[in-house]
Amino acid sequence: MENQNDKAAFFGKITASVTHEIQNVLAIIKENSGLMEDFLLINQTEDLSDIEEKLGRCINSIKKQAYRGVGLTSGLNGFAHITDNTQISVNVLDLVKKLISITERLFKQKNVSLSIIESEKPYSIIIDPLLFQMVAFSCIECLVENFETDTHIAIEIQLLNNLTAIEFLYNDNTLENNSYKEKISHSAQWLKITNLCKQTNFKVEISTDTPGILIIFK
Amino acid sequence: MDNINILLIDDESEFVETLAERLELRGCLSKTAEDGESGIGMIASEPFDVVVLDLMMPGLNGLETLKQIRAIDKTLPVILLTGHGSIKEGMEGMQAGAFDFLMKPLDINELMEKIKLALNKPSKG
Repeated sequence: MENQNDKAAFFGKITASVTHEIQNVLAIIKENSGLMEDFLLINQTEDLSDIEEKLGRCINSIKKQAYRGVGLTSGLNGFAHITDNTQISVNVLDLVKKLISITERLFKQKNVSLSIIESEKPYSIIIDPLLFQMVAFSCIECLVENFETDTHIAIEIQLLNNLTAIEFLYNDNTLENNSYKEKISHSAQWLKITNLCKQTNFKVEISTDTPGILIIFK
Repeated sequence: MDNINILLIDDESEFVETLAERLELRGCLSKTAEDGESGIGMIASEPFDVVVLDLMMPGLNGLETLKQIRAIDKTLPVILLTGHGSIKEGMEGMQAGAFDFLMKPLDINELMEKIKLALNKPSKG
C-alpha cells in the first residue's frame, strides 16, 4: 500500500508540474489570439501594413507555443505509459533524458538546473522504468531539499566494475564529507530512496568525494 | 481606465509582454518584470496603481514576493494569477493581503474588472 501511495504521489507531482506548464502555454496562445482580435477590433484606423506585422508576431508566438505544448504533452504521454512494462530493457540515458524533460520546470522553480554527463556507451539494463524514475527523482529531490537551492545537479551514467551506475552530484564540493553524508543519511528522502531500492536490484550509496548519491544496478 | 500604472510580474515573458500590450490598448500603462526580485525593485523605485503577480515563479515565488511587496507598500492592490490546481495558494495569497486572484488562462475583461475594483477598494494590508 505504501508503495502504491508513493507511486500516486510521484505521478501527482509530475502531472501537476507539467499541466501547470501546459496552462502557461495555453495562456500565451489565448493572449496572442486576444491581441490579434484587439488589433482587428480596436485599431481599425491603423495602416494595414502595421497590422500585418503585428499579426505576424502573434502568429509566430502561437506557433512557438504550439510546438512547446506538443513537447509537453508528448512527454506527459510517454510518462503515462511508463507503467506498461514492469521489467523491460531500457537505455538509462534515454530514461534520464525523459525524466529531465518532464521535471525541469519543477526544479527550475527552486532555481535548480539539471544536466547529464553523457557517455558514448549505450547503457541498457532490464529494470522497472517507473521505479527507476521514482528513485532518480527522489535522488534529485534529496539533494535539492537538503542543500541550498540556486544550484546545479549533474547526472552521470557510468560503468562501475562492469555494472551500470548513475550518480547524482550536487555542484558544491566545499562541503565537508561527514557533514553532507550525515545530512543526506538523516533525511526523509534518503529513507524513501533506500526503501525504493529495496524493492529493486538497485544498490544505493552516498557519494564519496562530492555531495551526491550513487545508484548501482546489480 | 486611462494612465493606470500596472506592473505585471510573471516568469513567462511572452505571456506578460502580450498581456501588457493588450492592457495598453485599453488605456493602461504597463510595465513587466520576469521575477519577484526585479518586481520588488521596481515597486520600491516607482509608483504603481496595481500589481498583477503570478504565483508560480522560480526563485522568489508569488507568495514570498507578495509578502515583500506588503513590507514596502501596505495598500498597493495585488491581483494574483494562479493555475487551476493552485486555488489553495490563491486563497493563501488573499489572506496575505492580495486583493483577489484569477485563473490562467486569463479573461482580459475579467482582469479589467478586477483592476477597476482594486482601484476603488484598498487592498487588505
